[in-house]
Amino acid sequence: MQGYEEAEPTVRIREVKKDRVNFVLENVDLAFANSVRRAVMADIPTIAIDIVEIEANTTVLPDEFIAHRLGMVPLVSANCEEGIRYTRDCTCLSGCQYCSIELRLDVACHENRTMEVTSNHLDVVDSHTYADEGEAGEELTKRGENFGHPVGKDDVSLPPVLICKMRKGQELKLRCIAKKGIAKEHAKWSPCSAVSFEYDPYNKLRHTTHWFETDERAEWPLSENAKEEEPPRDDEVFDFNAKPGKFYFEVETDGSLGPQEAVMRGLAELQTKLANLILGLKSPPELDMLPGGDQGMAPPNGHVAPSGGGWGQPATGGGWASPTAGGWGDAAAPTSNAWGTSPASGNAWGGGTSPNSNNAWGGASAGGGGASPNANNAWGTSSTQQGWASPTQQTNSWIH
Amino acid sequence: MNAPNRFELFVLDDGEKPVEVSEDTKIPNAATFKIMKQDHTLGNMVRAYVLAMPQVLFAGYKVPHPLHPYFLLKIQTDGTVTPQVVLEQACTKLIGSLSTLEAKFKREFSFKDVEGAVTEDPYGTTGTSGQPWGSGRDYLDF
Repeated sequence: MQGYEEAEPTVRIREVKKDRVNFVLENVDLAFANSVRRAVMADIPTIAIDIVEIEANTTVLPDEFIAHRLGMVPLVSANCEEGIRYTRDCTCLSGCQYCSIELRLDVACHENRTMEVTSNHLDVVDSHTYADEGEAGEELTKRGENFGHPVGKDDVSLPPVLICKMRKGQELKLRCIAKKGIAKEHAKWSPCSAVSFEYDPYNKLRHTTHWFETDERAEWPLSENAKEEEPPRDDEVFDFNAKPGKFYFEVETDGSLGPQEAVMRGLAELQTKLANLILGLKSPPELDMLPGGDQGMAPPNGHVAPSGGGWGQPATGGGWASPTAGGWGDAAAPTSNAWGTSPASGNAWGGGTSPNSNNAWGGASAGGGGASPNANNAWGTSSTQQGWASPTQQTNSWIH
Repeated sequence: MNAPNRFELFVLDDGEKPVEVSEDTKIPNAATFKIMKQDHTLGNMVRAYVLAMPQVLFAGYKVPHPLHPYFLLKIQTDGTVTPQVVLEQACTKLIGSLSTLEAKFKREFSFKDVEGAVTEDPYGTTGTSGQPWGSGRDYLDF
């Protein structure tokens, strides 16, 4: 770990494909790299079918079986950070268009041969009406064209997901509600089908023991990543102080998110966690628990802290919370101020460039100030992520 | 039927404090942090960074029970700074590293072209001139 403070982490992407990215992470320690891996696998929200209402099922598979299989179908979830709410954060009672997506499947076999029901038969219901509408929001405008559709529905090159097979006379008719969630709740919400993670391909650090009959080197094949490292010399003494510093990742997504979005969201998610921890340490009640409106008084703080050299400066409550809003998120969501990093100009902050120009900084600190209860950017609340979600622009430029 | 909501494993309850600090009564300059609704992802990373700081004598974390969604982080310092400050510095540093990494990822991704990729970077990878905070850190400049 020694020395990593000075050396900045570096990353080298070896390969990007539509659904995977292979990169090498250097100058970080094992715990850091592992946390990145864990965050990418389990902390990124996506959309997946969560509730299934079966109207007719005369296939050979029982309802539960089919419901489970439906849950596993990856749905396009690009920018689901902003495009959809968690039902638990929504004002509706059980689901509305802002926190869920409805899909229907209605297939019957009339031919004299086996028919395959696949994810391509799932149709998103466009304008569905729910009994209870949640508080209106701008989520719908943030959704991409295919938001919530099964991955690869319009792509002939991608084989669809087989849900069940049926013979003549059988029918399957059902209604699904897809919701936003993270893989900690259920693995179906994981954007990744696999994240491979390797370090020390020669086992120089002896973090593992290679069992062998006669010759370890002959019996244990080297991975591709071994080409990146020096093979150990025969006279090399074991360096028991050595620490791993080079990590080989391959993040493979299931298509619900692109590899770029998955990785970037994972990093952002880690930062959110840390920021919440800092906020938790900083905010014994008096400062951050002020009602949102009072944060308006704080702009002086908010202003001073960032210009004083960064968000890292210990500032008092309001000041502290404000810089984070724009500083850490690679750009705060357009709704949330951000003198950060978005393209258009016209912002209060010189270097800052926020997409919508009405982001005066004062307003920003009111919103960004930790305690504001409104869901969008109070990052102390449960809906934290939204506050500094990746900005729309950025997300749009990502590929899925 | 009476199963608790699964999201209670990672979402703070209403009014629940994310961190509880209890100072050690027997060991000088030591404190235990109970970090709610977090797991090894945060715990191990923070532990490693805290431990790497020169003022820290001890840092360790544990998840007492896999079904209980919190972890304990114990930090002892040499007395020049309090464990709280050390933890905060470590987190700040980590966020710095992550932001750097994020910027580098962004740059790398913009170099690698994928089919259907938008090649031009709407944010401009060249950086914003005259950043008000001008700290020389470049994780904000994409």
